[in-house]
Amino acid sequence: MSTAITSRDPGYPTDRENYLTNSSGILSWIFTLDHKRIGLMYLVGVMTSFAVGGLLALGIRLHLLDPEGWMFTGAEANNIYNQVFTLHGAIMVFLFIIPSIPAALGNFLVPVMLGAKDVAFPRLNLSSFYLWCFGAIFFVSALFSSGLDTGWTFYTPYSTTTDTSVILATLGAFILGFSSIFTGLNFIVTINTMRPPGMTWFKMPLFLWATYATSIIQVLATPVLGITLLLLIAERTMHVGIFDPEFNGDPVTYQHFFWFYSHPAVYIMILPAFGIISELISVHSHKHIFGYRFIAYSSIAIALLGFLVWGHHMFTSGMSSLTTIIFSALTFTVSVPSAIKVFNWLATMYKGSISLTTPMCYAISFIFLFTIGGLTGLFLGTLATDLHLHDTYFVVAHFHYVMVGGTLIAFLGGVFHWWPKMVGKLYNETHGRIASLLVFLGFNLTFLPQFVLGSRGMPRRYATYDPEFAFLHQMSTYGALLLGCGLLYAFIVLMTSLAKGRRSPANPWGGATLEWACTSPPPYYNFERPPVVGDPYDFHNIEWDAQEEKYISTEPERKLVPEETPEEVPAHH
Amino acid sequence: MRFRLILRPHSEPGGFGRPANWFTFHFDTYMRGRPNSGGSSANGFRHMATIDSLSSESETHDEHGHDHDHPAWLAHHFDTPEQQFDSGKLGIWLFLVTEVLFFSGMFCAYAMFRMLRPEVFEGCSQFLNTKLGAINTGVLLFSSLTMAWAVRCAQTEEYKKLVVMIASTLSCAMVFLGVKSIEYSHKWGMGLLPPGSYFYDEANPHPTMQQIVDQHGFSESTAYFLTHSLYYLCAPFALLLVGVFIWLVYSKVTDKQFQYACAKPLLVVCLSFFGGVGLGMVLESGGEHSEHAVAHVDGEHAGEHGDAHAEDHAHEHGDEAGDETHAEADHADAVVASAEGNDVAIELLAESDLNTGAKAMLEAKQAQADMATGQIVPPGVEADLGIHKVERDVQTKRQAGVFFGIYYCMTGVHAIHILAGIGVLVWLLVRAIRHDFNRQYFGPVDYVGLYWHLVDLIWIYLFPLLYLIR
Amino acid sequence: MIPALTNLTRPMPFLADVEESFWFPKQASSFASEVDWVYDFILYICIAFFVPMMAFMVWTVFKYTKKKGTKAESQVTHNTPLELAWSIGPSVLLVWMFVQGSISYLDMRTPPEGSYDVGVQAFKWGWTMDYGGGTFHPELHIVKDEPTKLSMRSTDVIHSLFIPAFRAKKDIVPGRYNYMWFKPTVASEQVSEEELAKAKKQSEGGDGWDYDKYQFTPDGYTFFDLYCTEYCGTNHSEMQTVVVVHETQEELDAWIKANSSRPDDQTPAEWGQLLYNRRGCSGCHSNDGSKLVGPSFKDLYASEHALASGDSVVVDDNYVRESIIDPKAKVVAGYQPVMPSYKGQLSDDDIESIIAYLKSLSSNADAK
Repeated sequence: MSTAITSRDPGYPTDRENYLTNSSGILSWIFTLDHKRIGLMYLVGVMTSFAVGGLLALGIRLHLLDPEGWMFTGAEANNIYNQVFTLHGAIMVFLFIIPSIPAALGNFLVPVMLGAKDVAFPRLNLSSFYLWCFGAIFFVSALFSSGLDTGWTFYTPYSTTTDTSVILATLGAFILGFSSIFTGLNFIVTINTMRPPGMTWFKMPLFLWATYATSIIQVLATPVLGITLLLLIAERTMHVGIFDPEFNGDPVTYQHFFWFYSHPAVYIMILPAFGIISELISVHSHKHIFGYRFIAYSSIAIALLGFLVWGHHMFTSGMSSLTTIIFSALTFTVSVPSAIKVFNWLATMYKGSISLTTPMCYAISFIFLFTIGGLTGLFLGTLATDLHLHDTYFVVAHFHYVMVGGTLIAFLGGVFHWWPKMVGKLYNETHGRIASLLVFLGFNLTFLPQFVLGSRGMPRRYATYDPEFAFLHQMSTYGALLLGCGLLYAFIVLMTSLAKGRRSPANPWGGATLEWACTSPPPYYNFERPPVVGDPYDFHNIEWDAQEEKYISTEPERKLVPEETPEEVPAHH
Repeated sequence: MRFRLILRPHSEPGGFGRPANWFTFHFDTYMRGRPNSGGSSANGFRHMATIDSLSSESETHDEHGHDHDHPAWLAHHFDTPEQQFDSGKLGIWLFLVTEVLFFSGMFCAYAMFRMLRPEVFEGCSQFLNTKLGAINTGVLLFSSLTMAWAVRCAQTEEYKKLVVMIASTLSCAMVFLGVKSIEYSHKWGMGLLPPGSYFYDEANPHPTMQQIVDQHGFSESTAYFLTHSLYYLCAPFALLLVGVFIWLVYSKVTDKQFQYACAKPLLVVCLSFFGGVGLGMVLESGGEHSEHAVAHVDGEHAGEHGDAHAEDHAHEHGDEAGDETHAEADHADAVVASAEGNDVAIELLAESDLNTGAKAMLEAKQAQADMATGQIVPPGVEADLGIHKVERDVQTKRQAGVFFGIYYCMTGVHAIHILAGIGVLVWLLVRAIRHDFNRQYFGPVDYVGLYWHLVDLIWIYLFPLLYLIR
Repeated sequence: MIPALTNLTRPMPFLADVEESFWFPKQASSFASEVDWVYDFILYICIAFFVPMMAFMVWTVFKYTKKKGTKAESQVTHNTPLELAWSIGPSVLLVWMFVQGSISYLDMRTPPEGSYDVGVQAFKWGWTMDYGGGTFHPELHIVKDEPTKLSMRSTDVIHSLFIPAFRAKKDIVPGRYNYMWFKPTVASEQVSEEELAKAKKQSEGGDGWDYDKYQFTPDGYTFFDLYCTEYCGTNHSEMQTVVVVHETQEELDAWIKANSSRPDDQTPAEWGQLLYNRRGCSGCHSNDGSKLVGPSFKDLYASEHALASGDSVVVDDNYVRESIIDPKAKVVAGYQPVMPSYKGQLSDDDIESIIAYLKSLSSNADAK
């Protein structure tokens, strides 16, 4: 058996095998069909957009340092502010959060976790990356032509009458929508048809469940956004009279259409984060995930229920009372599956063997922040309180707790968790943990005051405000600066690891899912043949090798009965 | 290590495509040496009519290492042809789901506005020519048949028939577009446009370019486009036709057989567009008059007089000056007509929302005219409706425009899907001529077929919703 | 120098007013106590969940952080009864929140019969309250303990009317009427005469009344803030006005009467200036020559302007009048046609007063 044990540590890849080095030259990246390279290019892309969106966010916060506006001055101050918050929202939503986890980490991980060689449609995968770039170009050109000042929601009739580049931006969002659809479609097909022998639906890592649920939403909701934006463009160019009241259209119809996509889109953003946290908590606690089926089912439940609650963005817009109450009731149902997950994560940590690594720090802050984000959602789902809180800073704080405290933190946790796998380098743990602490503190300082601002009546999207709100706004601004420093710190930690980091073993954390069974970084073909797999959260056979500072698997390699036809276990059914 | 062998033969001068037995040859080498297929491969292969019967055997290939050669059509990351086919099939179905949802947005908009303003939809759908719609429905249904047949031909490796079927599907798509351009250009000339540019004026349904500029405030170039839109719509297809024709001649002269074989069906396809245009022209001029009558008075009325007025109508067409009083005077309902005829100036004034005086005057005149004909309830209004709702009320920018806004969005997006379908069908046609498909690898034909059926299906819904329900 | 740093020396200035809670502004309508009560209750439920959960998490982190390579104490995979319990258990509380929220909501949706009706017109970027009988004013004046219904419409884009002290909010969607109602329970106070006189003196010659600075209206009433909460463009954040609650109907009637038309002792130019500030002109037209959304009023009268259509026009009485009634007819080149029509909202005397005010701002020879 000893040979089996050693054979379970794949060692290090050769330059010829390593997906980063097996072919070189810029063209080998531009035309690559390798899902790992596409994932890495996405990672660079979304991080760049995040940097742009983040700088815009700092601009917003600095402007709000003073009740009369501080950052932007002159006659155009309000206009600049409006453009800045619009672009902050649009870039963060369309260019960063939606593609962040599914497209960047998902692309890298889905096939490797499945033991497959690639996604089902590699060309479609590459084209969806280029669609993303194309969409980004549209956004940038909107930025440099006459800007965009509609808010990221493009509400009519404002968006049909303003003289900024609405068409460029909506075309950009339209194209990004297709990028998102193709990614989702690719993942659904990949997960359905390319699972390795032994991996039944309930032996899939939870990250794959989350990705699957996300992909369902991407495929089902995004086309509606597509047609909505197309109709908006038609409304602006030809005045088709569907959304514009001046031509007998109805602006509330636009809101229904828009939120039918954009509410499920919230789950496109948060579901993959749930998947990452499930992996992180289990691996770094070295304990089987608690309540696997509940977590898996709750992902699907969220994906489906998420389609029924869009109306809660419009409680004040004048829907009939009955509709409003039904949407409120449905909204509460979504909170149940989210709560289940948090309880299950806590139970997973209980009696585990926790390693307080950088990814685990992010996972813990995720639980803290997401719980606040989720609980404050209850105030907004309750009709009486929502009428007061709607469109105030309370809403801003709530969705930042979910989107930033949830998705961004999980994304960072995921990047730190899989960074050794992606680039083959280990980063400095101490600095990584300090950065995560800074991010946590900065984030709370930024957004906790905003809850109070909101419940005291400060409306959102205000370039100037009444002096009585100044103190809380200033707290928030200083928090944003701290948050920015923390994020920059985290980025520097990752970048230094590229130059100075120690070479990463195949399994630095002790994970049991398939990506840890191939080398770091993986070879370009991932696995020579589809591995036969068991339980992704069974840590019995993962042992710490203190000498080599790595985890190895003592489990004998599973094999189909040698030299036999695997007819009983078809590769895909 | 896995190598991917590229076995696709390049087309060479003097001979194109793969030999008909290429696949058999290749597949035999592929199957040979595996325990299950044994010596029966060549014969056994012929009995496998569908891919399903192959599955149990093809799965065996995993065991004999990874240096085996995938067939060229099997992508390197798939283990079996079945896995590839299943993935593609699931993929295209998911894509169709997104397409359905894409259109569902517009169907929702249709349903909502129809619910809010049923009279607008009833009034305006009479402007749509049912005959043309029906012809297009038939054409698309037939194309679905040929498409399904094409899939079958790919499975049975009847290459000639496959090419014929794909080319017929393409031709039908072109006929559809031809008829559609007649419908569009006709409506554009009449000003039946989305509310932003709607200028239909029932007193003068076919304004000249000058009138469009003077009365409706369009720029000269827009007016030129609106009155000559058919030429603009046909121009790209005419260019295409010429291009394909030159290609055909060139490939014939230089004796490039593969290219010649591609250009030949494409020429027919391009010609079909103009077939569609011709068909549309014939039917449009016959069906149009009833629309006008409806617009003026009411449906029942038009039914009685529609035929009698066909000649007047032709006259009106020929004499583009559109002398409205003359055309109107021919109406049987002389009182109504003359009243309207004299009111052109007032009508124009009344178009402005500010001019409530002119509006009131117009309404009063209308009521008088109605009384003069001895009618208590104005024509076209059911007695039990109670409210004085004349047909003409819906023909305002804000009302009718919304119908046409939805009409152009729905049919326009559908037409874009037809265009996309034409694109992929041409790609299929070339591959079919190259003999790329065989009974193990017909996925692309199948997938495109599914897409085409969906596009067809959407039209099956659009036709009754827009043209028929009144 | 960061101006805001100085503000940090005044910690939590908003808590100075003892009547306000930490979370909420003053309760000034019949809805307020109900909304606050529901809010507080949900808050307690959240805290009851959040604190033990986080305490548990911190405790596990301290207790179970182990050296690398240590095996976990337990590898329990699931416990269905426990999981079902924590899935279904909290749902009871959710049902309560939903029911309580909906009951209060229905209350807030249904105006009682015979409410006092005020018309509200929202436009970019201001408010016009219609008190009937041709009286318009940007401030909302209502009576204490009297249910008040607002019939709201917008002439351009979507706005939303929000009065934090009343906990009431409703969108105003163009193309339809939206309604809301509330019953104020706290009346505005009147400031002393000398304080008012002092403030009036200070603000003379400035750009109108600074509500934030004085914290009372030019009539000497304290007020509640009224915001637009639906983003509506450039000056969205300036689209604010105030709510004044009068003790009695008589007091309100007197105020309406005082504001219905030009008092005899005011010149047209003075009245025009008042209208300029009150009716939202100042949001887009400056009176000092700076370019805002619309052309500045300074030196506008009798000047010649190129129009967007290519023609040019001399600003005379007729052009001003037309621009007020039908603003989109002749738009000055370089500006967007965004001004709402004031047709039917300004009397002839009002328009003449505005013309007089324009003349007073213009140094062009013809204006005199």
